[in-house]
Amino acid sequence: MRPVMTFALMTLRNLLRRRTIWGISIVILIALFGIGQIPGYGISNEGRFILDFGLFGLEIGALLLAIGLAANIYPRDKEQKTLMPLIAVPLSRGQYLMGRFIGAAMVQTAAMLAGCIGLMVILLMNGLNIPGDLFPAACLLLVEGWFLLAVVFFFSFWTSPPLNAPLTILLFILSQMPVSGFISILPRAQGFMRILRLLLPHMDVFHIKDPIAHGVGIPAVYFLLATLYGLAYMAFMLSMALAVFRSRDLK
Amino acid sequence: MTDVPIKVDNLEKSFRKTLGLSGFKAVDSLSFQVNKGEILGFLGPNGAGKTTTIKCILGLLKPTSGNILLWNDFPGSKTVRMKIGYVPENPDYEDIFTPLEFMTMFSSLRELDISKDQILSILERVGLEAWVKVRIRNFSKGMKQRMSLALALQSQPELLIMDEPTGGLDPAARKEFRDVILEENSRGATIFLSSHLLSEVETICDRAVILAKGKKVTEGNLDDLLRTEDLFSISFMAPGTESDVHEEKEVVAAELQKTIDELRQNGQNILEVKPVYRSLEEVFLSATRGGKL
Amino acid sequence: MKYLKLIILLALISLTGCRIDYDIEEVAPPEHLGETHEHEHDHTGAETEEHHEHDITAISGSDRHVHEAGARNHGTEWFFNQPWAARFIWSKMIRDTVILIFLAAVILLASRYRLRKKR
Repeated sequence: MRPVMTFALMTLRNLLRRRTIWGISIVILIALFGIGQIPGYGISNEGRFILDFGLFGLEIGALLLAIGLAANIYPRDKEQKTLMPLIAVPLSRGQYLMGRFIGAAMVQTAAMLAGCIGLMVILLMNGLNIPGDLFPAACLLLVEGWFLLAVVFFFSFWTSPPLNAPLTILLFILSQMPVSGFISILPRAQGFMRILRLLLPHMDVFHIKDPIAHGVGIPAVYFLLATLYGLAYMAFMLSMALAVFRSRDLK
Repeated sequence: MTDVPIKVDNLEKSFRKTLGLSGFKAVDSLSFQVNKGEILGFLGPNGAGKTTTIKCILGLLKPTSGNILLWNDFPGSKTVRMKIGYVPENPDYEDIFTPLEFMTMFSSLRELDISKDQILSILERVGLEAWVKVRIRNFSKGMKQRMSLALALQSQPELLIMDEPTGGLDPAARKEFRDVILEENSRGATIFLSSHLLSEVETICDRAVILAKGKKVTEGNLDDLLRTEDLFSISFMAPGTESDVHEEKEVVAAELQKTIDELRQNGQNILEVKPVYRSLEEVFLSATRGGKL
Repeated sequence: MKYLKLIILLALISLTGCRIDYDIEEVAPPEHLGETHEHEHDHTGAETEEHHEHDITAISGSDRHVHEAGARNHGTEWFFNQPWAARFIWSKMIRDTVILIFLAAVILLASRYRLRKKR
């Protein structure tokens, strides 16, 4: 475990010293600030819009962070030949993947936490109460973010960074569609489309902005189930990524 | 058998053709072994398959067929990795770190408990003591080579695998590098050295394997490789001349006895008869047909 | 290794589960779907009890009206057809979680085995 955690901390320091993360964080903060202005323009005198758009912003932020943080890590390591001495001697491929993943996940956690706190501050500045489920909802979005991070790592082992981003975004969109909607993309291949959709993740389990914005309580057991589901899918994607990585020759 | 640090048996590595690009066989039926405590020179022209073989040994590439065993274990296993120090060709490291930071983290990756003072002394040993707190991105190629030697030395490895380690170094630095290799060898480390610099191999290696087009063309002790089989040199002097004035004559093996007899009949004193040695460059060019193989 | 592909295939088939899987609109029990159930409804301001189905005008425009607290309003299927509100799919989430962890473990072990075998 020591090599993995050391490598995760190396990754964390590496990502923080590069500028990508700061760019994404600034975009999220600007988006939150913009959302905070909505009631001021008289669209609503309630906090519903702030919560709804704020959580939506965090959801998109999780996606952007995953792509921005992880899409380029492996290709850069390979291109700059920093991968070779690491894999040749101190690290196994599994340790490399887990170290990079945990490092990127730590940065993502910090950024999402900052986003959640930012949303709370905006609610307070507008004289609104902070719903009790807001923090658990943000945690679910963080689990979604980790899952997306695993997806980006998986794609990064067999595609280029310019292809990784659209593929991840496509998966993000398709994974929120109901089966009926997914089938309507290709109605002639109904059976195939049904099976394909049911194999894709159900990312709607992570999205609870609607009940929170409308003040509907969420049972605690649901948070637990959705978190376990997200972590299991993340583990599945990481195992797939490692299987691809292990099959690769490092020329 | 477990004492043999590297045993390569009938190794073949082919790269498949992809998207209109043709495939090729980089290494073909290659067998050799590196014995404990020796310095083996691994030679060959560009594209001979040296780096591919090294990457197979390190577990970075999967052989198409054949076997590689390191201390009777498979490449890439944790126990094997912990015994190896690797100096790659054109190394590069996470360039936002300083050598001190990177060495500290690298030792932790290897689960070594090394103090800061020990790291500083290794950096001093490879001549990087003045660059301890400079980011690696500002390093020249030669400095990165020194850095990779420092990383390789960190764990006092049992096997040092070096792929063109002195490529970017000036002559003085090359000499320092050679001295470190010899020091490590006298400590007990086995050295596997791939290099284009034949004079370097000639100076420090015990044995050499020469490759061409992925195949082994010759292998042996350096003494055996450099010694010509049928050419001898006879040192002789006329009676009454001063002891440091003598003549030499080269003859083929078939005429050796006849020539010695003639010289003796002419009253010459035979001082020494020894085989003629070629330079490694001559051996290399002969084995690879002038580098055209 | 011989049966590995079969094991993965079976796990994936059970992951899809076809008709029994969760697409809330498809598999929701009748009591979950709020639009056609029997409920109290006030058109005139006076309390009346009647069983009825709405036409489209009743949920929009000047006829738009709101039910008592606890009863569902019209046009809100999208709201309740989300996993957090559909308790009947929670057990399927657990099933998927278990299958995914099993698949992850199988893929991990298989790729490790292949790596060692090829070397």
